[in-house]
Amino acid sequence: MDKKHCKKHYDVIVIGAGATGAGTARDCAMRGLSTLLVERFDFTAGATGRNHGLLHSGARYAVTDRESATECIKENMILRKIARHCVEETGGLFVTLPEDDLEYQKKFVESCRLSGIDAEVIDPAEALRLEPAVNPDIIGAVKVPDGAVDPFRLTTANAISARQHGADILTYHEVVDLPVSNGRVTGVELLDRHTGERLVVDASLVINAGGIWGHLIAKKVGVTINMFPAKGALLIFGHRVNNTVINRCRKPADADILVPGDTISLIGTTSSRVPFDQVDNMDVTQEEVDVLLREGVKIAPSLAYTRILRAYAGVRPLVASDDDPSGRTISRGIVCLDHATRDGLEGFITITGGKLMTYRLMAEWATDMACRKLGHTGVCRTAETPLPGSEENVGEDKPRKSHIIEMSTDQLAAQGRHGSLSSEIEYKSDTDDALVCECEEVSVGEIKYAIDKLHVNNLVNLRRRTRLGMGTCQGGLCACRAAAILGNELGKRDEALCDLASFVNERWKGMMPVAWGQTLVEAQFTSWMYEGVCGLEPCKDNIKETHQQ
Amino acid sequence: MEYQVKNISPNNFEQCIKCTICTAYCPVLAVNPDYPGPKQAGPDGERYRLKNPEFYDKALKYCLNCKRCEVACPSNVKIGDIIQMARLDYDKKPVPLRDWTLANTDFVGSMATKMAPIVNTVLKMPIVKKAMDVTIGVDSHRQFPAYAGRTFESWMKKKAPDQSVYARQVSYFHGCYVNYNYPKLGQDFVKVMNAIGYGVRLLEKEKCCGVAKIANRLVKEAKRDAELNINSIRKAVMEGHAPVVGTSSTCIFTMRDEYPHLLGVDNSDVREDILIATAWLYRLMETEGVKLVFRPDYKARITYHTPCHMQKLGWTIYSVSLLKSIPGVDFVPIESQCCGIAGTYGFKKENYAYSQAIGKDLFEHIKEANVDFVATDCETCKWQIEMSTGVPVYNPISVIADALDVEATRRANGLV
Amino acid sequence: MKYNSIIIGGGLSGLLAGIRLAKAGQKVAIISSGQSALHFSSGSFGLLGSVDGHSVTNPVEGIKNLPAVHPYSKVGAEKVISHAAEVKNLLSEAGLTFKGDATANHYHLTPIGRCRPAWLTLDDYATCEDLAAIKWKKVAIINFKGYLDFYPEFIADELKKKGIVSVSYTLSLPDLERLRKSSSEMRATAIAKYLKGDNLDLFATEINRVLTPDIDMVLIPAVVGLDSEKPLVDLRSKVKAPLSCVPVIPMSVGGLRCQMALRRYFESLGGVYFLGDSVSSGYMKAARMVSVETVNLAPVSLFADNFILATGSFFSHGLVAEPHKVVEPVFNLDVRVPSDRDEWFRKNLFEAQPFMEFGVDTDPQFRVKKDGKVIENVYAAGAILGGCNPLKEESGAGVATVTALEVADLILNQK
Repeated sequence: MDKKHCKKHYDVIVIGAGATGAGTARDCAMRGLSTLLVERFDFTAGATGRNHGLLHSGARYAVTDRESATECIKENMILRKIARHCVEETGGLFVTLPEDDLEYQKKFVESCRLSGIDAEVIDPAEALRLEPAVNPDIIGAVKVPDGAVDPFRLTTANAISARQHGADILTYHEVVDLPVSNGRVTGVELLDRHTGERLVVDASLVINAGGIWGHLIAKKVGVTINMFPAKGALLIFGHRVNNTVINRCRKPADADILVPGDTISLIGTTSSRVPFDQVDNMDVTQEEVDVLLREGVKIAPSLAYTRILRAYAGVRPLVASDDDPSGRTISRGIVCLDHATRDGLEGFITITGGKLMTYRLMAEWATDMACRKLGHTGVCRTAETPLPGSEENVGEDKPRKSHIIEMSTDQLAAQGRHGSLSSEIEYKSDTDDALVCECEEVSVGEIKYAIDKLHVNNLVNLRRRTRLGMGTCQGGLCACRAAAILGNELGKRDEALCDLASFVNERWKGMMPVAWGQTLVEAQFTSWMYEGVCGLEPCKDNIKETHQQ
Repeated sequence: MEYQVKNISPNNFEQCIKCTICTAYCPVLAVNPDYPGPKQAGPDGERYRLKNPEFYDKALKYCLNCKRCEVACPSNVKIGDIIQMARLDYDKKPVPLRDWTLANTDFVGSMATKMAPIVNTVLKMPIVKKAMDVTIGVDSHRQFPAYAGRTFESWMKKKAPDQSVYARQVSYFHGCYVNYNYPKLGQDFVKVMNAIGYGVRLLEKEKCCGVAKIANRLVKEAKRDAELNINSIRKAVMEGHAPVVGTSSTCIFTMRDEYPHLLGVDNSDVREDILIATAWLYRLMETEGVKLVFRPDYKARITYHTPCHMQKLGWTIYSVSLLKSIPGVDFVPIESQCCGIAGTYGFKKENYAYSQAIGKDLFEHIKEANVDFVATDCETCKWQIEMSTGVPVYNPISVIADALDVEATRRANGLV
Repeated sequence: MKYNSIIIGGGLSGLLAGIRLAKAGQKVAIISSGQSALHFSSGSFGLLGSVDGHSVTNPVEGIKNLPAVHPYSKVGAEKVISHAAEVKNLLSEAGLTFKGDATANHYHLTPIGRCRPAWLTLDDYATCEDLAAIKWKKVAIINFKGYLDFYPEFIADELKKKGIVSVSYTLSLPDLERLRKSSSEMRATAIAKYLKGDNLDLFATEINRVLTPDIDMVLIPAVVGLDSEKPLVDLRSKVKAPLSCVPVIPMSVGGLRCQMALRRYFESLGGVYFLGDSVSSGYMKAARMVSVETVNLAPVSLFADNFILATGSFFSHGLVAEPHKVVEPVFNLDVRVPSDRDEWFRKNLFEAQPFMEFGVDTDPQFRVKKDGKVIENVYAAGAILGGCNPLKEESGAGVATVTALEVADLILNQK
């Protein structure tokens, strides 16, 4: 959306387009509030885009945090219905290794039962049949309803839904100030990161959904939120190693979850407290890679030799209880703060804590509070209303392309990514069916659709919407093609080559910690191609997303 | 850290760095845009098929299994293997009658041999060719190789006593073509072997190598044959009748390199004992001092066509070196290119035009070479080249047999 | 099998060494484990374009500023230049016409319209000097419908900065329409297979149809002339304005042409080229390599008096990186690589990456070392030498070819 069309006043302005922010904007809009969603970078640029993509059954929290576990399993079942095109119903296993205590399994299963999670103890041999990638030495296995969820798709679908219900969305607009008048936040002052322009938008209520950066937003109006950034690193393997989520049945620790997601598998995470000045600097260290591999190999031995595409890390926004500023009692639960009652500041609430799995519930809580404060009587329907893309059975009656196969593989892949919305992708000519990204089967048509409909400003945005450049070659083959299309479609060719250089560089940052074997070959090849053959150089004044994963 | 040290995964497809070199050397892609190309069909597609078998693209059937992509790949990706494996794993359509007939070379061969004159005549009749074209999709341009009236095996049975007198023995895998269509090649092999002091014996049991069954997705049948062959080969090796040599590069390639990964038949203990005849002959000459003496009056201008599987085996050097060692041979080199037939592939109506388009450049080079004949180690290449160029094609072993001075060779090897 | 010299690696370096030795009457075999990095050439070869971030106009001068570890420093400036001249001759004998010479760099046009320093550029490829010469005149940039690896818009933008007016046209031919049915395979090399004979005439007609009299130059993507430069010569003769090629995103038609022409020339000199085979082991006696075995030919050994290792860099697996070490996989030779992995990389990909300079350790005569001891008859040539950053220096092809001839000379001059 262009800010020209931005209204002067909204009922609600939501800050931050992670899953929670987008979900809140959706809920607000669906309940009939006029809503603006603002984001300093892109959808999913923060923690939302930097996690496992695990559709938790809640089992992982069952022993330690029953409240979270109960929330998880409820939301799990809801997401299976409302976000079908973002979810893969893979099922999950909690496996006990010979070095682990099998006693824990009993406690685990009992805790699951109390949390309402369907946990079934199965024979290790049966587990191995279900998931051949699992360590054959396991001594125990429990089946749980885990799955995979694509956070990029999920957030985009929420944003689309918000838009469909009348919300406005501004990405690359950073909140630089929260104007306060008479003890009330009156709106936001935004900085357009592309043009440097500033604008003030009024709102009856501002919802802070800025994740770990939320404390900085609150600080602008003198409000303190006690957050503790916890860094978690993950590794992406080149293909699907497993088709079932594999968890380690022990107290949550490093690298004990292996999640299959789309064409890849992910192992994670580590967990380490980082200072606030490091939250925008998520480099993965040699030690973290070592830990992830050492532990990962124990649950799936093939990780010892499977090609690693990249490493990345995100920051969990852990919130300390208000009554314990030391941070020793950390809750992973949802924190919804009304700053009027808490800090004496009207017109401002913060929704934080929680996790990707409970984004919808967080949005519901925040919207409930918003409605209460605004005297609005809207009922939450997000638990029943499918997200755009998940509405109906897709693929059954769709006209199939007259190719040798019923539907070309790129069309199938696009359908997987966009669900029923893939029918909006136009294959007007053979040219639209041409593959730009060959590893992830992204066609010209899909790219044009994304640029047209999904708030795409640059290649990183395009990657998050389509998986372009997320495959084996990490953009080596496709980035230049995509940059040319993007430059032409957006009419910003002068920026396209700068964007290309920063995209290639951003890919490298994830490859560097795991640059050996063919991943190093890939990097050398990419360098030759872009710097050597093309003569591409990085630009200095390019907008840098601190979180470009 | 001891992990990721070799970074060599059994999932060989992940070695692919998407450099696209394979696509430049794929003979199919150059003529048939319906084929997704080796990179897309192989390593790229495999990632998607692992995610969901629905991503299997039926156009993979256009792959010739020539393995030229593998030869070209700088990262040692077994692209052709990945594609063939995907066809066997994911294509669940029933095998049509036409493919079954083409694939069962030994069954059809044994039937046809019994009635060779009739079958040969009938198969040549335009109306029959037309009918096969229309009804089952065997292209009418194709001429089935004529069936011999008597199989090579039955000829060998009579010769067995003569062969057993030789102190040294070699096992011969004759293959379907020699057995049913062209026993002369087998007889040439026996002639050459005898001249250097080797007796030839057949395997206790021999079935078709299975290449045609694999290509037509008859995995179960192919596996059964493969197990029988490997067991026979194993027995021959254990009895000291190694190596087992053949005169068809495709049979040898299939038994050495396709059995384990496509059919799950372990051949590791005998793989090194399965050889193409020219390779073995070359080795005998280099390591055992075996000598071949050729007739002084033998004169021929020839070229060698490298069958794709010979290229993949890397053994062209053996056949070419032997041919060049014949004093009367005027050898004209031509570039290694696929002829387009790929066994049963080119017989199928839907592939005929592609098959001929693939071979077009090769046919021109052969015609330009102005040779008396072409030598090659593959019988289907032979049919294709003969049909498409009119130039006769012989196996190098037949060329050697023809040029050989048997008596002088025996003397040179101290056999007289 | 017995040869005078066996070369491991069949890319630019291995082929040049092979040609030089075969021309001197040696019996030479090349063992190549797959196709080479030459397939990704821009159509231009660099000798030395930049030293320490400063651009070099005359490589002769630039070489003097290189560190001692640099392969050129080991060869010596004078010999680098004489070898470079010889390289151009050999390329020409192989049927490859290049413009440029070693004493003055020129600039070649890149797929996105930038200018990169070059020593030699295939005759049919555009140089920035060609473009400078037509300043303020008009250029037509031709592309094919649906072809994603060529960027007329980027080139037009760059030309505009140089004061050159351009106009873009998108053409199609019936056969290319057919090719486009494949969603992924409309690539330079695939197009080149179609652009010959009648299609080439058709292409020329199509170009002429859109040309206006004010057009002084036609730029097309480098998708013509796979087997030889002849189709391009034909096309040039048929198009009514001067025509040049612009490199595209690889595969490179020009690079493939070089590879095939050099191999053909090598084989015509009696050389044997084993493609798709790799050396599995070497047999040494005292400090000399006696023979090697290959995957395909074992148990037959390949004997030679001398061996050249021209297996390239990481891309060609001349070097293989493990998480904490780098190995030379053929003979497990000594390599020059820092032990701490953190020293291998820079966070910015566009900085000079240390890993680009990794290579095998050699004596001043380019003879490799194993466990600290020189192997007397095994030489290294090309990218596997390391000691320089070919990307930053634009010296990859130069190092490949110059060291190949140097090593060949060392072999030929042995007593």
